[in-house]
Amino acid sequence: MTEPTQIGAVHVAILSFAHSHANGYAGVLNALPDAELVLIADDNAERGRDAAERFGAEFVGDYVEALARDDVDAVVICSENARHAELTLAAADAGKHVLCEKPLATTMEDAQAMIDACARAGVKLQTAFPVRFNAAAVAFRDAIRNGQAGTPLAVIARNPGTCPMGWFVDPDLAGGGAVMDHTVHVIDVLRHIFDAEVTEVYAEADTRIYDIPVDDTGLVMFRMSNGLRGSLDTSWSRPENWPIWGGVEIEVIGEKGALRLDAFNDNLEIAEIDGPSYTWQAVEHSGDPEMVAAFIHAVQHDEPVQVTGEDGMRAMQVALAAYESVRTHEPVEVVTG
Amino acid sequence: MRFAVIGAGGMGRTHVANIAASPDAGVRWVVDLDEALCTAAAKLCGARASTEMDEALGDPEVDAVLIALPTSAHRMATERAAEAGKHVFCEKPIARHVEDAVAMTEACERADVIFQVGHVVRFFPEYARIKQVLDAGTLGQIAMVRTQRRSAPVMERSPWFADLEKNGGIIIDLMIHDLDTLRWYFGDVERVFAHGLSYTEWQQSRDVAMASLRFRNGVIAHLDASWAHGGFYTAIEVAGEKGLLSHNSRKNATLTFESSEGTADKGNIAPQLTFTRPSTFNPYSREVAHFVEAIRTGSPVMTHGAEATRTLALAQSVLDSMRTGRPVVIESNAVATTTA
Repeated sequence: MTEPTQIGAVHVAILSFAHSHANGYAGVLNALPDAELVLIADDNAERGRDAAERFGAEFVGDYVEALARDDVDAVVICSENARHAELTLAAADAGKHVLCEKPLATTMEDAQAMIDACARAGVKLQTAFPVRFNAAAVAFRDAIRNGQAGTPLAVIARNPGTCPMGWFVDPDLAGGGAVMDHTVHVIDVLRHIFDAEVTEVYAEADTRIYDIPVDDTGLVMFRMSNGLRGSLDTSWSRPENWPIWGGVEIEVIGEKGALRLDAFNDNLEIAEIDGPSYTWQAVEHSGDPEMVAAFIHAVQHDEPVQVTGEDGMRAMQVALAAYESVRTHEPVEVVTG
Repeated sequence: MRFAVIGAGGMGRTHVANIAASPDAGVRWVVDLDEALCTAAAKLCGARASTEMDEALGDPEVDAVLIALPTSAHRMATERAAEAGKHVFCEKPIARHVEDAVAMTEACERADVIFQVGHVVRFFPEYARIKQVLDAGTLGQIAMVRTQRRSAPVMERSPWFADLEKNGGIIIDLMIHDLDTLRWYFGDVERVFAHGLSYTEWQQSRDVAMASLRFRNGVIAHLDASWAHGGFYTAIEVAGEKGLLSHNSRKNATLTFESSEGTADKGNIAPQLTFTRPSTFNPYSREVAHFVEAIRTGSPVMTHGAEATRTLALAQSVLDSMRTGRPVVIESNAVATTTA
């Protein structure tokens, strides 16, 4: 059993450490006064035990057992993408609130089922989009909304990264490659800033860097319901020895000038005689603490989540439309009804 | 090698100065409809001035003509120069329309004169170095290429830049530099998709364009061009299976100036910055030297008429995609290759 916590603290279980973002979320949960990381469940016992030990939580080897626990109010799901749906449905059935890693799912049917199940059960469903909470991204949003760049005319974005390998390059578990992995963050930020939907997508993608069964190179051209035209490079184009994992860059070109977000640019540059010849150390990057805290706050105070399941589904839908365009070489209309 | 420089605007005056400084070339005529312009430019280098192109073309001492006129006048000037038996160096873009470019190339072939188009980016040291790195295979198979070419809203000062019919706007005038360079690196393009502001109500005051290119060798490229930024800069990044390279003319500047004027009450607002890269390697001199060498020794011209025509045809495809909102599949390069 866990130690008693202060009244009102939200008791959280993390379901699966398949996605390494679980490490960041676990650290945040341990630091938040209003949250208590109760247990870590993982069907990969070695991975789960290791995480439970590192974060001082109980290890449970079975998701059903974890969800049956009365001392768990909410779950954070960091499984492989294709398993988000079954875990979310089970969590909703058990009356647990859900914070689900992005992309929300790998099919529209799964995403809709997750949204419906949580609504029926009266539990909250938040999609984990930490970039929306990144301090620079928040300032970027406010500057655009305040008209610093004038009327927005075009957006040029990219979310390049190193290749995460493992299940991320298994099409059945990940639901795609670089386009699935790196479309949703930027699209979510843009949908949020402009309160607009992506209406049309054209994309090119292929496997050109690694010997893997999914795309590692992707370019998504899109139009939004507010008339904005944009492009998004999703490629896993940073070499494996790149100093950090990648980055999120969004440039909005407006009537009065160009406003540029480079959310992960705040790094120390270090060259060590007895270490790597050149590397970067993040000074201030995340968005994770604010994102997890927002979820905990919503659960604790029974308020609406800031990033909904619908948000997660719409961002994923753009990635799915991009894959359809890659197959057909045609622009694909994105119907959001 | 004695030149007649036709057109004494910004580019014309740059070429006049470079040719005058060249050890193996000189300026014999400067021609411009504006008498004050051609007289002033001619005086700087001891050349003759004229408002009549035919006066310069009729001079048997003239070996070559450098055409730095507005795009819509390129065909007329090239055909007359070729008929007069002069070698032709024509500023980019070769023409506004592909059929004009084909006619110009054929006119120079008929007259058996050298024809070079000023795709100067191939002569910029960073882009030439990238070509070497790519040809050496250092980066392995290439996956994604990104280019940027950003500038202030030039149409505010010179509205003809925004003239879609005569000048072609941002694709034909600005993005064409990177289209040409990427063709040089990666060969023919299979499929194009583009969007931007060229066919919107903004086009007369701001223009931004972005293009997706799929090359026949599989490379995916994203190009952007802007007349909506604060100052000029270019950037390129090439990602391959064995590594990544990038260059940004602003980030890699070797000389910057940070103005302190008028900043006292602006607090932390960024100051006016200028970024430059002074170089003894003048790409505009190099491209003319390449042309002079071809005339003198018969060495091949890198950016000859057919090559520039292919680049123009690609630029037209990008513009067509932006106008129609549809991808453009480039079935073959037959239009251009008939003149190769």
